[in-house]
Amino acid sequence: MSRPTPPKSSLLATLLDLPKNVWSSIFRNPLPSNDLERSATSFTNFFLHIHPVKVHKNSLRPAYTFGLGLISFFLFVILIVTGILLMFYYVPSTTQAYDRMLDLRGSVAFGTLLRNMHRWSAHGMVAVVFLHLCRVFLTGSYKKPREFNWVVGVILFLLTLFMSFTGYLLPWDQLAFWAITVGTAIAGYAPVIGKDIQFLLMGGTSVGQEALLRFYVLHVAVLPAILTLMIAIHFWRIRKDGGLSRPEDADPKIAIEPMEVAATKASVPEPKKLYGFQGLVRGPLTKVGQVPDNTVFSWPNLFLAELFTFVVTLSAILVLSLLFNAPLEEPVNALHPPNPAKAPWYFLGLQEMVSYSAFWGGIGVPGIFVLLLLGTPYLDRGPKGVGKWFSRDRLLANTIFITFVVANVIFVIIGTFFRGANWAFVTPW
Amino acid sequence: MAVNLKRSSGEDSDGGKTSRRKMLGWLTGAGLFGSAGLSAVSNFVFIKPRATYGQPQRFSVGKPEDYPSGTRAILASRGICIIREGSKLAAISTTCTHLGCTVGAADTGFACPCHGSRFDQDGNVTGGPAPRPLPWFQITLAPNGEIEVDKDIEIAPGSYLTL
Repeated sequence: MSRPTPPKSSLLATLLDLPKNVWSSIFRNPLPSNDLERSATSFTNFFLHIHPVKVHKNSLRPAYTFGLGLISFFLFVILIVTGILLMFYYVPSTTQAYDRMLDLRGSVAFGTLLRNMHRWSAHGMVAVVFLHLCRVFLTGSYKKPREFNWVVGVILFLLTLFMSFTGYLLPWDQLAFWAITVGTAIAGYAPVIGKDIQFLLMGGTSVGQEALLRFYVLHVAVLPAILTLMIAIHFWRIRKDGGLSRPEDADPKIAIEPMEVAATKASVPEPKKLYGFQGLVRGPLTKVGQVPDNTVFSWPNLFLAELFTFVVTLSAILVLSLLFNAPLEEPVNALHPPNPAKAPWYFLGLQEMVSYSAFWGGIGVPGIFVLLLLGTPYLDRGPKGVGKWFSRDRLLANTIFITFVVANVIFVIIGTFFRGANWAFVTPW
Repeated sequence: MAVNLKRSSGEDSDGGKTSRRKMLGWLTGAGLFGSAGLSAVSNFVFIKPRATYGQPQRFSVGKPEDYPSGTRAILASRGICIIREGSKLAAISTTCTHLGCTVGAADTGFACPCHGSRFDQDGNVTGGPAPRPLPWFQITLAPNGEIEVDKDIEIAPGSYLTL
């Protein structure tokens, strides 16, 4: 009995098709040319399926978000990549750490560039995460149903600060040593558990080898893991909370049957029409084609915007890193703090505050501020003013928030420019 | 076995069976969460060092002759300032009581570079955020004639060792 012989495929033909076959085994879809393929491209790709297939036009308005959340994320990605590379040369030892910094600068290819990128991205991330927080507040985007994602965001902001704090001990220069001495001492002022936290952070009673090792582990393992997890939750919640916030009037009003009526109609169908129950979905029932569609396909609209943001972010960091070198102070001198001993700019507001009172400046006021931030969506329950910058409906909340921000900025400015030797008040001119 | 699983479902009215099932549920939950809690606690026990490495708190700083009258010598590596006035000796801490920076000598006593705390010659706070005066440490004369400072024992400010 003879079987039909398949068309003979030569080895050559197989090899010639190899690239195409490998490619199509990874990417199931060709570059999309119609809406169905645009959808498929979005949800069959692991990295793209985090996005919705279609995105609201309002979410793509640059002047609405300024891309701040995305920029934060891209800076985090840059920080992970440069951070892992730096780990190849860094040793968390009090005798070696500073020399390793000098090696990075002097004898490692691209060492200076990578360290600069890591430092400026870290500064950038603190700034951009804070601006992102301001954007979300000032557009009222923390309101229902996004309350919990706001809380996750506040935690992400605190983690970002803690990441940068644990990071700048690692060069083991003067800034590092005295900032950690002061920082852990501030923790010691926390009520009840303060002294224990201070002891756990330092791994002893003074800042030394144990503290360096502990901050290193926190910086390269513990905090990045928590941060990555929280970012995943943050992104996932954006989808589950209905995408980015937008004003009520972002979609023109149309006559939509109230859910009850529609549901009643749908659930009492003619006999044997069981598919009527499919109408029992959340939200008002609409008919296909009746809703003015204010969404556009993520491919290419959203993805191009994201690519653009990434390229701009990376370019900015590269340019900064080529122009400015990350500071490295004198090696640690545990006997003499520099005078004045100043923290990085984003902690100078805190430093200025603790120069009045260690407890109130370091624990009390920041603690109240964080609690207020965490509680914001649960205290401010008014449904109005979502999705608009500086909405009149949210005048009070915005005023309180801006007052806090301006106060902190003023403290940062005082700490940066108006403090000299022995933290005495000086004028910069 | 499968029969057993099915039996108590829907037997809410039967108090005996439901409560046994509930009881087992509670015990299982308590066991699981209890061991999770214990693991968390043991992690903290693990990262809390039992032995710490540091400088000795009790040390000798030389003979009284090394400090002529009127001396105010800051021994940076020890974190103290030795004061000699006539036949009176004292050791004052140079660790700021605010947030642990090292204070330096200033015209009026001590000044802290980190947050601007200021102290007078005896370590009393004269300005800035420091909550307490700089502590004075016990100072004794060892049998071999050397001055011995014990940073574990604080004494009242103003109590000098008279030679």
